[in-house]
Amino acid sequence: MNIFERFVAGWRKYRKPGYYDDFDYHWTMTIDLDRCTGCSACVTACQAENNIPIVGEKELARGREMQWIRIERYWEGEYPNAKLNFIPMLCQHCDAAPCETVCPVSATYHNQDGLNAQVYNRCIGTRSCAVYCPYEVRYFNYYNHHWPTPLEQQLNPDVTVREKGVMEKCTFCIQRIRQAKDHAKDDGGRRVRDGEVQPACVQSCPTEALTFGDRDDPESKVAEKMRDPRAYRVLEDLNTDPSIVYLKKA
Amino acid sequence: MPNVDRRQFLKLVGAGGVGAGAGFMLAESARHPVEHLIPYPVPPEEYSAGIATWYNSVCGMCPAGCGITVRTREGRPKKIEGNPLHPVNEGRLCALGQAGLQVLYNPDRLTGPLQQLGERGSSGFVDATWRGGLDAAAERIDAARNAGNRVVFLSGGVRGHLAALLETFTRELGSGQFLQYEFAHPHALHAANRRLFGIDRLPYYDIANADYVLSFGADFLNNWLSPVNYSLGFGRSRQEGEHRGRFVQVEARMSLSGAAADEWIPARPGTEGVLALALAQQLVANAYAGDDADAWRAALQDYTPERSADITDVPVETIEHLASALVDAGHALAIGGGSAAAHTNGADTLLAVNALNYLLGNVGRRGGMVFNPDPAIGASDTEPASYRAMEQLAADARAGAISVLVVSNANPLFNLPAAADFAGAIAAIPTVISLSSFMDETTALADLVLPSHTYLESWGDDAPDPGVGFTVGAVSQPVVSPLFDTRATGDIVLELGRRLGLGEAMPWPSFEECVKDGWRQLHAAGGEAAGDFDTFWRDVLRSGVWGTDTRAESGVAVPDEVIADIAVPEPQFAGSESDYPFVLQPYLSTGFYDGRGANLPWMQELPDPMTSVVYGSWLEMNPETARELGLRDGDLARVTSGNGAVEVPVVVYPAIRPDVVAMPIGQGHAGLGRYAENRGANPIELLAPSVDTRSGALATGATRVSVAGTGRRAEAVKIGGESRELGRNIIQRTGTSGSAGHSARLNSIPIVVESS
Repeated sequence: MNIFERFVAGWRKYRKPGYYDDFDYHWTMTIDLDRCTGCSACVTACQAENNIPIVGEKELARGREMQWIRIERYWEGEYPNAKLNFIPMLCQHCDAAPCETVCPVSATYHNQDGLNAQVYNRCIGTRSCAVYCPYEVRYFNYYNHHWPTPLEQQLNPDVTVREKGVMEKCTFCIQRIRQAKDHAKDDGGRRVRDGEVQPACVQSCPTEALTFGDRDDPESKVAEKMRDPRAYRVLEDLNTDPSIVYLKKA
Repeated sequence: MPNVDRRQFLKLVGAGGVGAGAGFMLAESARHPVEHLIPYPVPPEEYSAGIATWYNSVCGMCPAGCGITVRTREGRPKKIEGNPLHPVNEGRLCALGQAGLQVLYNPDRLTGPLQQLGERGSSGFVDATWRGGLDAAAERIDAARNAGNRVVFLSGGVRGHLAALLETFTRELGSGQFLQYEFAHPHALHAANRRLFGIDRLPYYDIANADYVLSFGADFLNNWLSPVNYSLGFGRSRQEGEHRGRFVQVEARMSLSGAAADEWIPARPGTEGVLALALAQQLVANAYAGDDADAWRAALQDYTPERSADITDVPVETIEHLASALVDAGHALAIGGGSAAAHTNGADTLLAVNALNYLLGNVGRRGGMVFNPDPAIGASDTEPASYRAMEQLAADARAGAISVLVVSNANPLFNLPAAADFAGAIAAIPTVISLSSFMDETTALADLVLPSHTYLESWGDDAPDPGVGFTVGAVSQPVVSPLFDTRATGDIVLELGRRLGLGEAMPWPSFEECVKDGWRQLHAAGGEAAGDFDTFWRDVLRSGVWGTDTRAESGVAVPDEVIADIAVPEPQFAGSESDYPFVLQPYLSTGFYDGRGANLPWMQELPDPMTSVVYGSWLEMNPETARELGLRDGDLARVTSGNGAVEVPVVVYPAIRPDVVAMPIGQGHAGLGRYAENRGANPIELLAPSVDTRSGALATGATRVSVAGTGRRAEAVKIGGESRELGRNIIQRTGTSGSAGHSARLNSIPIVVESS
């Protein structure tokens, strides 16, 4: 097969109806809102793992935050019956992602694991993807960010440090997934086992509200949680088909 | 050929060859200065390039003592995660614990010893050597000792063999005094346990197996005692039991835990104990069948639902339904602390909560509270200093009774109210030595700074308190070689000991040996079965934790005279209600704890979970109160107590009593480096020096304040948008309509592609 034929074969594979069922893995996260306390451990975990910069007070005041996962908070009712509800919001890795179709340079695409991936080198910073994302989880580098010495020694060598003009967002800790797949390949070419890979946020969650795994494996924990009658997805009527499944609060 | 070396030659070629692109290239190279890669001729044994090494250790960010595992690459820590083997946190870790890396890599760390040549508090610090610094410190301590003057070693909360070493050091000095001051130490809980059960230990709360948790003011999911452990229990109680665990929170201002609760009850501040006794009375009347039921009945007869409802501002129906829920639950558990204990009757309130547990038959039972055994290592006789003890220290200092003060890992200038005048006390002490890693407020007033390692660079060990109901010991090992010219606190003390001729009592060449020696004794107690020490030590270092894994169930008895004496007195507030209409409730913040996290940029940028504010302080206020005062969200308000005033922006907060205002603790630093300095305000400054009468702890919630607009705006920086859902149905509840998750794919619009 020459390079052209390979390209066409690949193209066909990914342009068939239901192509997203043919993934090698179908990584999915479930978030149990009945367990989530809003403690924000996931936010710091993500920031540490993914070299997310410190943007400073001035930039934050202009709405230029960079944290890939955030805790959204919604008040309900008035005193004394006021309630505060939390929901962790991160890239939903939509299987029908609105951000992917609008990128003029295909910097954001769907990979063989069902992840919505971002190619930093390809991104030219049109920011269309962020406009089209109904979950508002794409973040733009307005500046080159700096780490005053010796803070830069903390940077995770497995993750790119992004430069200005580039869009970025949650990757489901793709570096960890790649490592687990590599390891599984070396270990006799087996598949990645359930629980073998966890994104930083899932790893840190003190109430075990977050679960991560391959939804195509019916035995996996996420598949089990998705069968829970409490399962739902945010803004489902938009037909984005997200890979993040929330479990309703009781 | 002119004298051009290879590097210059390549540069010349590069510039010539790129031509038109050179401007761009030069701009790029200006941004990234040339760095030199120097390969290891012989790399250290522990690592191979590109492969991460994980070390187990102990978190040093708060007193909970979670186990951590640190991922290092090429000898540099990259990420801190929870140690999955540690029973306290089982692999999980809170935000502050994970930000420990920024303590290590903080750009404002002190890089070596400093000596103050100018006036105290001036910028006259000059670099010193360790030898000179230690000599000077030993000389001053020696002079004080010979004159019979007091030498005080003031440390933050410290456990394990470091606590034992500091105790030995001050004892051997003869005129030494060892004090630990931890702002959030649960003095009131200790006092309550002592009085009701005769046990001076903290209990383990088995939240995982409780199906009804009633919490009085304890923000146990955020930062109260052992939050990661309690969060694990909370998650399991909610969704892993036979039926979903319910949880009710009683407090005047909704905390993070209050938000997670199924029911939030805003009782009048300081009256939480009355509510507990009202529930106790209902329990005795309807369910309790112990031998001492009559004694309880007599003691609790005043706490009728009606009278309690008047005092607590909680309706009679609520009291009745809480009481019947407690009776009906299989494993109901009451916990108390935090804002409920922050009053002049704090220990009495917790005594009432304990009584509830006793009447529910919870003590020493699964799904209840189990008292922890004595710590396996470094059992210390030194009780952490209460506010009363710190006041005494300040008074002694002002009277000229203290010659030398050594401060380690504590920042009393930030964590004590202005009313304590600790700055004045320090001014009266001839020699102040700080062992801090940062130029904090207290260190700025030192004569000599001998900076210690961060916890990630030092040896140590720990017995978590509160533990998990059985014996646990953990070793904290350095995960990186020291970044700067600093030394471990233990090593500094050992060095001072040698110079002061205390070598006999402290014979160890290094603190590492001291820790190892302690564990050798622990190992020897295991007898033959324990195997050889080196294997044991290696195993402990590898797993990071050691101990047993069974909880002993046990009962307790309460003496009749204690039962007869049970009552919750009226809380006393500083300031009159007419001049100062609001009760100020300062609370430990998620990111900064008691202020120690304020120099960590990740914590500054971590949106406060309840308000989403970053980088600042604020005043929380009921919407109704704000309307009455004519204040809007973002107005700058002046908060005045009898002891001072601060200016902070208003954040309108829907879940706080109208007669209470709240402020987070943590900001308002005058020192501690670029991220913390001159940002926000410190509510501790405003507090009146009121104490909990039984325990002597600072009653942080016992100060009244007045609030007035300044006419200026200073909006707190908030992350995120609209604070209401506005019908978007983002957070769904069971029983509400919403599309089902698994059928969604069927609804997706199919992608139609022509087949060829």
